[in-house]
Amino acid sequence: MTAGRFWDRFLLPGGVWLLLLFAVPCVLVLALSFGYVDDLGRAVYATDLDNYSAAFDPTYTPVLFRSVLYALTTTALCLLIGYPVAYYIARYGGRYRNVLIALLVLPFFVNYLVRTYAWVALLADEGLVNNALIDIGVINDPIRMINTPWAVIGGLTYGYLIFMILPVYGSLERLDRSVIEAGKDLYGTPLQTFLHVTLPQTKQGILAGAVLVFLPSVGDFVAAQLLGGPDTYMVGNLIQDQFFAANNWPFGAALTVVMMIFLSVWMVAYLRSAARDVRGAAI
Amino acid sequence: MENKAPQQRRDSATPREAIRIENVTKRFGAQLAVDDVSLEIQQGEFFSLLGPSGCGKTTTLRMLAGFEVPTEGRIMLEGEPVEDVPPYKRDVNMVFQSYALFEHLDIADNVAFGLKRRKVPKDEISRRVTEALELVNLSERSSARANELSGGQKQRVALARALVNRPKVLLLDEPLGALDLKLRRQMQVELKAIQREVGITFVYVTHDQEEALSMSDRIAVMNAGRVAQCGPPEEVYEHPSEEFVAGFIGISNLISATAEDGGQVRIANGLRLPVPLPDGVAPGDPVNLSVRPEKIAVDELEPGMVSLEGTIVSRVYLGVSTQITVSLGDGANLVALEQATYRARADDRWEPGTKITLGWHPEHCLVLR
Amino acid sequence: MSPSAFDKPRFLRVFSFLVYLFLFVPILVVILFSFNTIKSLNVFHGWSLQWYQEFLDDPSLRESLFASLEIAFATMVVSTVIGTALAIGLVRSRAGWAPGANILMLVPLVVPEIVTGISALLIFSQIGIALSIWTVIIAHITFSISYVTIVVRARMAAISQEVEEAAMDLGATRWQSVRLVLVPALWPSVVAAALLVFAFSFDDFVLSFFTTGEDLQPLPVRIWSAIRFGLSPTINAIGTLMMVVSLTAIAIAVVLPRLFGRRESGLKVLTAGEG
Repeated sequence: MTAGRFWDRFLLPGGVWLLLLFAVPCVLVLALSFGYVDDLGRAVYATDLDNYSAAFDPTYTPVLFRSVLYALTTTALCLLIGYPVAYYIARYGGRYRNVLIALLVLPFFVNYLVRTYAWVALLADEGLVNNALIDIGVINDPIRMINTPWAVIGGLTYGYLIFMILPVYGSLERLDRSVIEAGKDLYGTPLQTFLHVTLPQTKQGILAGAVLVFLPSVGDFVAAQLLGGPDTYMVGNLIQDQFFAANNWPFGAALTVVMMIFLSVWMVAYLRSAARDVRGAAI
Repeated sequence: MENKAPQQRRDSATPREAIRIENVTKRFGAQLAVDDVSLEIQQGEFFSLLGPSGCGKTTTLRMLAGFEVPTEGRIMLEGEPVEDVPPYKRDVNMVFQSYALFEHLDIADNVAFGLKRRKVPKDEISRRVTEALELVNLSERSSARANELSGGQKQRVALARALVNRPKVLLLDEPLGALDLKLRRQMQVELKAIQREVGITFVYVTHDQEEALSMSDRIAVMNAGRVAQCGPPEEVYEHPSEEFVAGFIGISNLISATAEDGGQVRIANGLRLPVPLPDGVAPGDPVNLSVRPEKIAVDELEPGMVSLEGTIVSRVYLGVSTQITVSLGDGANLVALEQATYRARADDRWEPGTKITLGWHPEHCLVLR
Repeated sequence: MSPSAFDKPRFLRVFSFLVYLFLFVPILVVILFSFNTIKSLNVFHGWSLQWYQEFLDDPSLRESLFASLEIAFATMVVSTVIGTALAIGLVRSRAGWAPGANILMLVPLVVPEIVTGISALLIFSQIGIALSIWTVIIAHITFSISYVTIVVRARMAAISQEVEEAAMDLGATRWQSVRLVLVPALWPSVVAAALLVFAFSFDDFVLSFFTTGEDLQPLPVRIWSAIRFGLSPTINAIGTLMMVVSLTAIAIAVVLPRLFGRRESGLKVLTAGEG
C-alpha cells in the first residue's frame, strides 16, 4: 500500500456525504426547475422552460433586480464601515488587536434571527428609537423606519459586516509596515500613501470580503421578511414562498437556479482563489 | 547500550556488512530520482551521502527507512532483504531534518515512543530513556515540551529518540541543516563522538561537503540519481573521479586540454604540461585538468614543479588565506590560494596586473574525462 | 473625511467606537428587555425573570430547546469526525480526484444557505424521508463538514508529514501514527471546530426552517413563527438564553486551546474559520 492510497480513504466519508447530500440535491433542484405542478399539486419532473419564462415575467424581474441592488448596496456599506475599523485595529490596535477582533466577532455568534429581531424592536413605529426621538422633542410623530428598503439593507449590513471585516483585517495584518513607510517617502501625504500603497495591497481582502457579503445577502429572506414588507421582498422571500405558501416547488427551483446564475461569476472567482489557499485564510 | 542487542553483532574483528544496496532505481512517475545505485555500508561505519539538492540522496535514505519502495533493485539490512518491509517493522531509525518531535508529548515520552510501540517492559523503558537523555546531555529537560526547546536541543531529542531503540542503522537526513553555523560545528563534533560511543552504523545525508569530509568514514558523492564516487574523505577530495566531484567538493581549477603522447597534455594557449595520464586516454582525446587552488605555488616554485606564466586579475582577502585569480591568456583563468603564515601576510603582495609564475607538482594535477 | 484622516487615529477611533456601538446596542437591548417586569419593549419598568419563567413553563418550547441541543450535539459529533478526516485527506492525499473533493467541500460555504436548504428538502422528499429532527441533523451535518474541514485543515497544513513518518519509523503502523501522533497534534483545532459547529447548529435558522417536521421544531424556527405573530419579551428571553448557550461554546473554543499549551490562540482558529 503506497502512502497516497492510504490517505485517499480519509476523503471518502466526507466526499461521499457531500456528493450524495449536497451535489446530487443541487442537481435535483436543477432538474425540478424544468418540471411543473400537476392537478393534484404534486411536483412533476419534465423538460419545460415555462418556469424560466415566468421567472423573467415583469411580475418577478423587479424582485430579482431589487435583490441584486440591495445586496450590492449592502456590500458597499460593509466595505465603507468595515474597512476603517479593520484598518484602525490592524494599525493602531497594538496588543489589544486580538481582543478588539474578538469583540467584533462576538455579536455574530448571537442568533441571526434574534439580532434582526432586535432591530425590529428598535426601529418599529412604537420602537425605542422613535420613542426616544419624540421624548427629547426632535420629532412629534414617529418616523417610518421599518418596512423601508433602508431597514432591509441596514439589517443585511448588520448581519454580514463581519464577513467583510475579517478578510480585510487579514490582508491589512499581513501588510508589511515598512511598505507603508516607504510609501510615505514616495507619495508624501497620508491619503496618497493610502490610495497608492495600502489600498492596492489589500485588494485581495476587499474582494474576498465583497464576495462573502454579497453571496449570502442575495439569498437572504430573513431581513426582508422581518424588517421590510411586500415592497422590499427579495428573491429569497419569493423562493421561500414557492416552497411553503404557493406550494409550487418547480417554480421555486427555477428561481433558485436563476439566482445561482447571477451569483455564479462571483462564486467561481472566489472558489478559484480559495481552492488554492490551503490555510483557509480567504474563507 | 549493548545488552539485548540483536545476536551476533560486532562479535568478530572483521567488518560486517550493515547495508547492501543493489542496483536500486526509484522513479516518481516519469521522473528518475535514483538511477541504478549500488552501495555497501559496513557495520559501525559513519557513511555520508553527499550531493546537491535533487541528487537522490534523500530518496535513497527514505528507501533505507522504508518510506519509499524501490522501483527496481534490492536493499539488504544485515543480509536480509528489506525493500518491501514497512518502516515500522524495520530495525532502522531516522533523525529527521525538521526533527519531527511529537509536540503533545514531553521529552521523555518522545524518547520512549519507540520502546512503547515495541512493548518493552516499563522499568526497562524508563532506564533506557534516562540513559539516552544522558547520552545527549538533556537529562534535566525530560519533562519539558518540544516547543520549549532550542533548535539544538530538539536535535538532541530527535537523536535520543532514535538511538534509544538501538537500531541496526541510524539514518540522518540533513540533521544539522536548520542550525546556525557555530552550533552546527559543535553538533558535528558531538554527533561523531556519540557515534563512536554507541558504535551504531550512521548513514548521514548532507549537502554540506565540509560536514561530510570532517565526520565521515566514507562518502558517496551523488549527482543526478547516480553515485559519482564512493570512498574515504581523503580519496574523494584528493582524487575526484570526475569533473562533478572535483567541482562539488572544495574549489577546483578545471582546464580543458588535449591528451598528447609521452604523458603530457596541451592546454588552450598551446602550453604543454606533464601529467599522469590515466589508462585508456589516447592521444588526441579531450580531457579536463583539475588542480586544487591550495596546491598551486605562486612565484616561489619548488624543483620538479610545472611552471606557467600569468597575470593577476583579482585578489580576494579571506583572512586565513588570500585568493588570487590569475589569467593565463586565451580566457583561461586559475585560482590559487595563498596561506597567511607566521612568515608573511599574503594580502598585500599580489597587486592586480602583476606578472607572476605559477607552479605545481605534476602529481597534484588530475586528468578527468 | 480630511486628507489625513487615515493617518490620524482620532477620527478612526471615534468611527470604530461607533461601529462597536452599532454592533452591541441592539443585542444589549434584547437582553435588557428580557428582564422587564412589563410586557413592553420600549419602556423598561423593573427587573424580573417572569419571561424566562414563561419560556420554561411552556412544555412545547422546552421540547424545542432540547431538540435544538440534541441537533447541535449530533451535528457536532458526526461533522467533526467526517470533517477532520476530510481535512487530513485533503492535505495528504495525492489522488486525482482530491481537488474535486476540495471544490465540493468549498461550495457549501459560498452557496446561499437557502439553496442548501432547498436542496436538502428536495432530496428528502425525493427519497421519501419524512421531515423530522433527523432530517435537520443531516442537513446541518452537510453544511458543517465544510466548516470543520476549513478550521482543521488550517492546522493540518502546518504539520509536517515527517511527524507521522517519525511515528512509523519508531514502530507505529499507519493507523497508529494517525491515532497517536496526528490526531493529538490536530486536537486543539478539532475541539475548536466542534464547538463552533455546535454554536452554528444551535443557532441555525434557514437550514432548520426548510428541513424540520411539523410537530417538533428547533428553537430558531419557533422564534421565527413567534416574531411573525408579534414582538414579545418571551422572545427576548429565548434569544438571551440562546446567546448564553452559543457564547459559552465559543468561549470554550477560544480558551481550551490555551489550556493545551499551544502557542497559537484559539482566536486564531476561530477567525480562520470565520473570516
